[in-house]
Amino acid sequence: MTTPPRSRVLIADDDAMIRSALRAVLDAEPDLEVIAVARDAGEAVVLAEQHTPAVAVLDVRMPGGGGTRAAREIRLRSPNTRLLAFSAHSEMGALDQMRRVGVTECLVKGVSNAEIVATVRRLAQAAPGQ
Amino acid sequence: MHDGSTPQRHDRRIPPPVRPPDTALRLLVQNVLDYGIFMLDTRGYVVTWNAGAERIKGYRADEIVGRHFSTFYPAEDVAAGKPDWELEVAVAEGRLEDEGWRIRKDGSRFWANVVITALFDETGELRGFGKVTRDLTERRMAEERLRESEERFRLLVQNVLDYGIFMLDTRGYVASWNAGAERIKGYRADEIVGRHFSTFYPAEDVAAGKPDWELEVAVAEGRLEDEGWRIRKDGSRFWANVVITALFDETGELRGFGKVTRDLTERRMAEQALSEGRRLLSHLVEVQEMERRRIAWDVHDDSIQSMVAVGMRLQLLASQLPEEHATALRQLDESIRDTIGRLRNLVFRLRPPVIDEHGLIAALSSYMAEALPASRLSHSLRDELHEEPRPETAVTIFRICQEALVNVLKHARASAVEVSVRTVDNGTLVRVVDNGVGVDGPVTRQPGGDHFGVLEMRERAEIAGGWWAMTGEPGRGTTVEFWLPNLPILPLPERP
Ligand SMILES: Nc1ncnc2c1ncn2[C@@H]1O[C@H](COP(=O)(O)OP(=O)(O)O)[C@@H](O)[C@H]1O
Ligand SMILES: [Mg+2]
Repeated sequence: MTTPPRSRVLIADDDAMIRSALRAVLDAEPDLEVIAVARDAGEAVVLAEQHTPAVAVLDVRMPGGGGTRAAREIRLRSPNTRLLAFSAHSEMGALDQMRRVGVTECLVKGVSNAEIVATVRRLAQAAPGQ
Repeated sequence: MHDGSTPQRHDRRIPPPVRPPDTALRLLVQNVLDYGIFMLDTRGYVVTWNAGAERIKGYRADEIVGRHFSTFYPAEDVAAGKPDWELEVAVAEGRLEDEGWRIRKDGSRFWANVVITALFDETGELRGFGKVTRDLTERRMAEERLRESEERFRLLVQNVLDYGIFMLDTRGYVASWNAGAERIKGYRADEIVGRHFSTFYPAEDVAAGKPDWELEVAVAEGRLEDEGWRIRKDGSRFWANVVITALFDETGELRGFGKVTRDLTERRMAEQALSEGRRLLSHLVEVQEMERRRIAWDVHDDSIQSMVAVGMRLQLLASQLPEEHATALRQLDESIRDTIGRLRNLVFRLRPPVIDEHGLIAALSSYMAEALPASRLSHSLRDELHEEPRPETAVTIFRICQEALVNVLKHARASAVEVSVRTVDNGTLVRVVDNGVGVDGPVTRQPGGDHFGVLEMRERAEIAGGWWAMTGEPGRGTTVEFWLPNLPILPLPERP
């Protein structure tokens, strides 16, 4: 019996506690694997191009151009990566903007872990070549 | 002068007039109304009478002809022998003119101009007197009134304390001085009359030739108004409003200058204090907004994120621990979520992040959705903005609306409230209209005590260079209305 390959996930958030909590939550799932963690938009783009993850979880407000810039460039450099915006409540407006640059799912920080995991999993399964 | 002889001794012989006047002339004299024209015999008894004399003195001819003309004089003049003395002078000099009080038949006085002419025949013998009397009472009254009003005016000018009113001669030397000038400038009349008015100007103005220039302008234009620093006797400065008027006589020749000076130092200081107060307040409001914004972002970026992370950790732990521990962790996570909700509210109240990112309407709309309980207060937002106000203005508008809406919730017992935002006159006009109990009439002053809402709203609007008003009618709701300009506030012009 072979274990199916785990879906590879990139996390980008400027808050260290969020980064590590998110990583712990996703890594705890047998079918998900956090393969890279970025602290800003620039790092997120570089790591995405390098690792071509199935899913990138992007904070909306972070240094280096924010989630919007990260999303736009990841779409170009790693077109198969599915994008999930993980935003603070008040940034709801910015989500419209992110949708326009290819973000397909949005989660507001504070939702339950189960919801986070389910959304990441759904995107991973939709990603081509998974 | 006169001999004081009484005019009561006389005989009743009436000598014939010098020459019977020709008929036309007689008719004229008879009928003239403006002048009393009559003749006296050599002793002063009335011989003829005309219509004018009747009108002025009240006697008919048959009542007065044959009576002595002293009848027309006040008792004190008769006692002093004035009637006889007047005849003597007329005889001696041919003619006498007098102005004085005379008595009418009804005893009332009138102010008379009297000309008595001695009438001599060809042989040089005195034949009698012609007397022409005019009633100048009206003119005299008018003159009296004028004199009185001039006197009152002089007293007024003299005693006015609020204005320094004084005259300069044609070359600018002080010619008169009043109490106000003394109060304002500190000089007594005897110290300053005769000195040049440049004494009142600061050295730099004198050096620049300003005093003479001001007189030249006043001559050229009739009048000059100026505001500036002037010097008191003690050397201190005061901020003066000065009007110099050139005074010309009927021939057009310059006779001097009138100068009216007001001391505006207090007004200027009050204005400055006010504007300084405003500036300080405006600065404090700005600092407060910055501080709120900083706190909002700190709470948002730091505290809330940390708590979100903690919540995620707690859930993760709960899923990994046996059920008896998991329950406690899930409860902990719940309370963390509640706290996050409360903190988000706090952030929103401190500085709705939407306002920076998505503008005024979005901020108002989400504030209204969040703060007003839809179940008991229906609300609408009308957006007629053609131009998004500048960020600071948007924040001010948002804050005033927030305050007004809190008042609607707290006081109005309304079932509906509408906020409308319109671009008007290069600014933004905002109305918050509720249908509640209504304030009573226009609210201009703060009710006092701990109520600062009204004051805060108005101050915010005025600091931003706009206006604010709250009106209402009991039972018919309240309207808060304000307008803020889109332009930045111009600094107050600096005076020299
Ligand atoms: N929308 C309103 N409807 C009725 N009354 C109002 C309304 N707004 C203000 N008021 C009245 O004006 C008073 C002053 O308001 P404010 O200065 O905000 O102080 P506070 O809200 O602390 O009482 C309130 O106490 C209330 O009586
Ligand atoms: Mg209030």
